[in-house]
Amino acid sequence: MKKRIALVAIAALLISILAACGGTNGKETTNEGEKPATGEKVKLSLWHNFTGDDQRAQTMRSIIEQYQKDYPNVTLDIQAIPPDGYKTRLKTVAAAGEMPDVFILSNGSMTQEFSAAGLIQPVNELIDSHPEWKEGFMPNSFDAFTVDGNIYSAPMGLSPTSILYYNKSILEQNGLTVPKTWDELLNAISVLKGKGITPIALGNKAAWLAQSSIFSSLADRVTGTEWFLKAVKQDGASFTDPEFVQALTYMQDLGEAGAFQDGFNAIDNTQMEQMFAQGKAAMMIDGGWALSNLASNANAEALEQMGATVLPTIPGGKGEPNTLSGVVGVGMGLGKDATGTKKDAAFQLIYAMSGPDAQKRTLESNQLVSYKVELDKSKVSPIFSEVYELVNNVKLTPVYDGKLTSAGGEAVNNGLQELLMGGKPEDIAKKIQDAQSKALGQ
Amino acid sequence: MKFIGFNNYVEVLQDPLFWKSFKNNLLIVAASVFGQVPIALLLSLVLLKNGWFQKFIRASIFMPMVLSSVVVGIIWGYIYHPQIGILNFLLDSLGLGSWKMQWLSDPSVSMYAIMVPIIWLNVGPYLVMFIAALQNIPSEIDDAAQIDGAKGSRKLFSIKLPMIWDTIKVAVVLCISGSLKAFDLIYVMTGGGPAHSTELLASYMYNNTFSIYRFGYGSAVSTMIVIISLIMVAGSQYLMKSKK
Repeated sequence: MKKRIALVAIAALLISILAACGGTNGKETTNEGEKPATGEKVKLSLWHNFTGDDQRAQTMRSIIEQYQKDYPNVTLDIQAIPPDGYKTRLKTVAAAGEMPDVFILSNGSMTQEFSAAGLIQPVNELIDSHPEWKEGFMPNSFDAFTVDGNIYSAPMGLSPTSILYYNKSILEQNGLTVPKTWDELLNAISVLKGKGITPIALGNKAAWLAQSSIFSSLADRVTGTEWFLKAVKQDGASFTDPEFVQALTYMQDLGEAGAFQDGFNAIDNTQMEQMFAQGKAAMMIDGGWALSNLASNANAEALEQMGATVLPTIPGGKGEPNTLSGVVGVGMGLGKDATGTKKDAAFQLIYAMSGPDAQKRTLESNQLVSYKVELDKSKVSPIFSEVYELVNNVKLTPVYDGKLTSAGGEAVNNGLQELLMGGKPEDIAKKIQDAQSKALGQ
Repeated sequence: MKFIGFNNYVEVLQDPLFWKSFKNNLLIVAASVFGQVPIALLLSLVLLKNGWFQKFIRASIFMPMVLSSVVVGIIWGYIYHPQIGILNFLLDSLGLGSWKMQWLSDPSVSMYAIMVPIIWLNVGPYLVMFIAALQNIPSEIDDAAQIDGAKGSRKLFSIKLPMIWDTIKVAVVLCISGSLKAFDLIYVMTGGGPAHSTELLASYMYNNTFSIYRFGYGSAVSTMIVIISLIMVAGSQYLMKSKK
């Protein structure tokens, strides 16, 4: 008896060990051809992350409710997942090959990985059937959702990740102007630091902030976009190249000049946005997502004092100066199992959520969009319209973790933390290079 | 999905980060075994009686255990906060301003800073276990020892400790396995950062599985955690075998 129990236990252990032997990059086969009977009733599953109380989430929820009223034959099975856990949940069901029919799809690496695994379907058909809608998007809006000519979604927002927010009154009181060049920035830092004011607020506990907001733009100024895109593909450029090490050195110089407050690796970006909103720091480098947080944390007077611009120019940099890093926002993706009448209903839902009308309502709820809309300035905060003007007048450059593989992005995140704690730029460049080349080789 | 044999296991063993998180985890195990268990034992000896004062102290030591560990993490995150943290504030007002630290973001102290809440959080259950064991010592044995003239430390080392030795062994096993899967506090307070300096085995596994989405590799790390746990638990049992 005892022996038998031992045998079962050993078998269970062996199976659990084998579970760890699966390689990544699994290619699942899709089964098309099965068509549901053409009935009136359609059941669609919808996954979204508009769970918050902010204006944008409320707007999107009301659009979904409107859709349910307009199409009573469609039963929506809605899963609303809080943003923090959304990506993890989605990637977990994706690993099991069970995709929802319509869901929020991130562009860049997620779109590429899902399309390579055959988990999503292109929506070219839908976009081509509404030419005036297609024309309305800003140039290159679909690029990040496009794989081999197939467009997998239409962006519902725009996320500039690297805006230099500044507090006009603090700069004025200290006789400073908005820094346009690297030297002006370093000068401003030393002046402010001398007076005991935090020059730039930073909250890098979650590690992606320094990468998305500061480094993506800073490195682009130094290396140029072309070099970065080559390095991502590991095609003729590598992260150990001198220009990238140079970019890391600039970042380290910024830290060593005392630009950030103490303990910046222990607070998160919300706390950092609060610091800036309450006037405890003169500047902050953050993305467009900060706007709604600023609007709720600062009073009208403080909001008047805020300005937004691009990062300063770098002497001798190869990148274009008047740019900021940014990506188009998420879009609604179409899962592999939505076929036949389900697909038609899904298309209608996607159009309802990202069509011209939805884009306008999104912009009016203080969320930037990648779609040409006349902005009614009375409906948004002054800093919002300033940022909207800014992104309409500059070129967007890629964001690091949007282009790199997940492993490469993680390496940059952790590498920047190490860099700001005094690590050697050369060693960190090598770690990033290793992570990216290994992830591509898999 | 393709079969890659034991490649993930080989990679785990070759990853310096895995060994770094293993080392950090050993620190946590040591802090738990040599912190939680002795403190709980001492307190249980002191708080054995059933007076209202003892009951109050016992309840307050057990308190953190009923809080969600996320809440504990956030509370201690604020205690250690670089700008508004009460710890730095206290040090300042005591005139110890030079001892002020970036508790959670300075890699030279962050691991130690994290041990404190881990010990504070987990003393409670061991305290309860030890008190129960001590109360289970039959009063005849106590009386007999009294008649034989055993007092104080003699009674402690010759009667009480041997009588509850099995409970202590169980506590150590629980302690080791509990600290090898420590995750919640780290995840809330530092997320394993900055730059992996507070990475533990469980957070290393989590980051690989859910940030980089390498599920197979994460499973391999989990299996390694089980194996390491087994070895350490077996080792501790061997060391604590009462010599008869």
